[in-house]
Amino acid sequence: MLDKPASALRLRERLLDSERLMEETGCYDGITELSLRNQDPLKFETLHTKLRAYCVSAREMARRISASPGVREVGEMVVAIYTPEGDAIALSNGIMVHVHTMSRFIKWMIKNNYEENPRIREGDIFANNDAFIGTVQVPDVMDVVPIFHEGTLVGWAGAVCHELEAGGITPGGDVCLAQERFTEGLFVCAEKIGENDEIRRDYVIRCERNLRMPIYWVLDEKAKVASCIDMRESVKQLISEIGLDYWMKVSKEFIEEGRRAQLARTRQLTVPGIYRGHTFYGHVTAGKPGFQLLGDPDWLYNIPIEMEITTDGKITMDFEGTQPWGYHSMNCTPAGMDGGMFVTLTQHMNFEGLVNDGAWMATELKLPHGTWTNPDNEMVATATSWALLLPAYGVFQRLLSRSFIARGFVEEAFVGQVNSPMIEMGGESQYGTPFGMAHFECAAAGSGALAIKDGLDTAYVGWNPESDMGNIEVWEQSMPMVYIGRSIVPNSGGAGKYRGGCSFVSTWLINKTSHLRLHTSEHSSRVFDNGGMCGGYPAPTCQKHRAVRNSNIHELAARGEPLAHAPGIDPLVSDYEKNIGGDHVVVEGPYITSPHKEGDIFSHSYNGGGGYGDVLERDPIKTAWDVENGFLTREAADSVFGIVLRDDEDGYPTADIDATVTRRAAMRKERLAKAIPVADWIATERGRVEKADFAPEVKKMYASAIKLSSRFTKDFSDFWNVDARSIFTPGAKP
Amino acid sequence: MTSYSKEVIRDLAAGQLPWPQTRRIMSAYKDDDRFFKMVAVYQDRVAWKDPILLPVSDHLFICQSGDERITRCECGHSFGDYRKNWKLNAAINVRNTEQSLREIYPNSDLPDPEWMEIREFICPQCGTLHEVEAAAPGYPIVHDFEPDLEGFYREWLGKPL
Repeated sequence: MLDKPASALRLRERLLDSERLMEETGCYDGITELSLRNQDPLKFETLHTKLRAYCVSAREMARRISASPGVREVGEMVVAIYTPEGDAIALSNGIMVHVHTMSRFIKWMIKNNYEENPRIREGDIFANNDAFIGTVQVPDVMDVVPIFHEGTLVGWAGAVCHELEAGGITPGGDVCLAQERFTEGLFVCAEKIGENDEIRRDYVIRCERNLRMPIYWVLDEKAKVASCIDMRESVKQLISEIGLDYWMKVSKEFIEEGRRAQLARTRQLTVPGIYRGHTFYGHVTAGKPGFQLLGDPDWLYNIPIEMEITTDGKITMDFEGTQPWGYHSMNCTPAGMDGGMFVTLTQHMNFEGLVNDGAWMATELKLPHGTWTNPDNEMVATATSWALLLPAYGVFQRLLSRSFIARGFVEEAFVGQVNSPMIEMGGESQYGTPFGMAHFECAAAGSGALAIKDGLDTAYVGWNPESDMGNIEVWEQSMPMVYIGRSIVPNSGGAGKYRGGCSFVSTWLINKTSHLRLHTSEHSSRVFDNGGMCGGYPAPTCQKHRAVRNSNIHELAARGEPLAHAPGIDPLVSDYEKNIGGDHVVVEGPYITSPHKEGDIFSHSYNGGGGYGDVLERDPIKTAWDVENGFLTREAADSVFGIVLRDDEDGYPTADIDATVTRRAAMRKERLAKAIPVADWIATERGRVEKADFAPEVKKMYASAIKLSSRFTKDFSDFWNVDARSIFTPGAKP
Repeated sequence: MTSYSKEVIRDLAAGQLPWPQTRRIMSAYKDDDRFFKMVAVYQDRVAWKDPILLPVSDHLFICQSGDERITRCECGHSFGDYRKNWKLNAAINVRNTEQSLREIYPNSDLPDPEWMEIREFICPQCGTLHEVEAAAPGYPIVHDFEPDLEGFYREWLGKPL
């Protein structure tokens, strides 16, 4: 046991010492024995719960200060308490992805000698939104304040809010058009923005002059600082009760306990071994206004993941074989990748609330240099890194779920998350003022299915476990659009014995503005960016946008004629086209066009989750209920699930069980008749591989993966019994 | 220590446990005797006698078959040595045209078959759809899971295989 009193070392030395002790002992800060827990477990647990309560309470208080519907309505905020070295001890609920990214921010300041200059003093406020220092994307702005006790630095309090406007080349927070760092918006790079508990006026002025909607950012700053001060004062009070030495020891024991708890949880819930999965993401921008031709405009990304669980309980995730970073906004830094891992673990393995950075320490990420997961160029843009991060961690959820199923904990298996497409907007508001914001109703997508039931409908996103789409009226107050529809998208969950959760689609009438810029991001084109499990299908996530310019909706309304409130169930001709006059547009990929104006109509669909199990095992009675309530179409019930529905005397669908059994037997027979042995398919497909008979983007994807990864090259070559390098990168040096 | 009857575990696995009870199980401390209880539930479900060593999917199990350890379908079909990718011994149906994709996605926007295909891995005996891959054309078939069976039994379960 390496007990240490409050150290007299300088912060940087203390941090390096802590890392060395971890390296030498395998335990956080060299804590090989949880002596305080052993001495008085009740006191230990009570204190840990108290710290958690400080965090939850501070966040709830701060949300009332914010002006942003993202923070107030949707809860896009998290707060945490850290050790002096920047390791999270306790955290609130909310966007927990940022607990470890904030840790990186604090450590970055320590390692860069902030103790010398600009100095770390009581009452200081530091802020950051630079993902290469420690956050996920430019709108995730974090504030930390040091906690001093009688002149000694005893910890940090930190808070993050996702800002709805970041001042980038396109309005909103997730700046979809950013192709380099320099177009992402207002950067605050580990900057001291306040002293004596007061945010500096010159910093506020900088925000006010560089943002389209500074009220969100500035009031969020005040909310964050208030929460930090609240936590700081609570911790100081606690220290006065328990003593400084006890605090310094117990706060670190909490983290070591968290590390051990994660390892134990892995041993309890999973099976050791190697798990593999992949997903894809399509990015289509050719010909779209604003995109500079800095690289190829259209990309297909492969995201293969190999997860290893060793018998000591450690989880390692390896992204080898994925694609390089690019001139787009979807790159991610290691901090963001850490965040994705952390938020997934907190939901799937550490759900009792007393989680901290110890959980992260029991895992390892292998992020190949030069890929989108770990760019070797710090000028790249990361404003929409969730676009690739979410599908990647959806794979992680499926890999973990495989391990839960193998261990018998079927109730924990969860097909996982999908992307949550964002709408960003700006221009002239309905009040005649300049504005900009992200629409955060996306925080309520459909989840993947579970291994024992359907997924959650419109109630899950991976990045915010407190899923909430917000009230329509609140969004309408903030943007020059009124809702003419918000409804479930039928069949939007992946099909399966248990279907994925369904998503929703919103339809808006643009209102009281002559200039509204609408942009979308974080939705895949041409490929599904998720998967199903154990026979379930992926959710249909490559959705197009449908809009009507110069619509006749006001005339229709005046005549009392029917309108369209959703795209409908015919993917080839929407209900807008059927019912509303005007210039109809269907857009693939990011929605970036000329501004909209009053009278135009815009629609945006969110994503559902993947399915679980064989579709022919789906419960016919539940399916009839789904059809009645708009979660599935009659067509899908019949052609996908083989369920025969008949109308009762009131016109409601009811399942004909006998007819369903007969139909399913025929479908199973047909399935077998159509299928061929995999060996035969491989033999035929090999010819296509040898000729590289693929679309240009597919060939480019293989060439890029081969260039970056010898393992991918070998696996590909071994599988097809070909020389992948000579097929996809002829002439390149091995 | 938390523990549930075999009947409760059977109903849980079948998705037939009432939701409030399922919810309580999800929220409670985990039952450390779950693995062998769940294996017993699966063993009752299959018609064959080979002892199940590990469930790996909804209807796939690694079992001891004589001297061999194989991946077996619930119907009894063997996919061979558990260390090899069972998918290579499956039947496959690939959806790589708009028409075939439309059968599964009748009312949605479709992927571009030039960029993505749907591969269905099917038991050649009973026709159960065991796994679906959504992949770019030419992408190698994934070997989903290589369990450390020896390590699991020896070090985590404390029982010989």
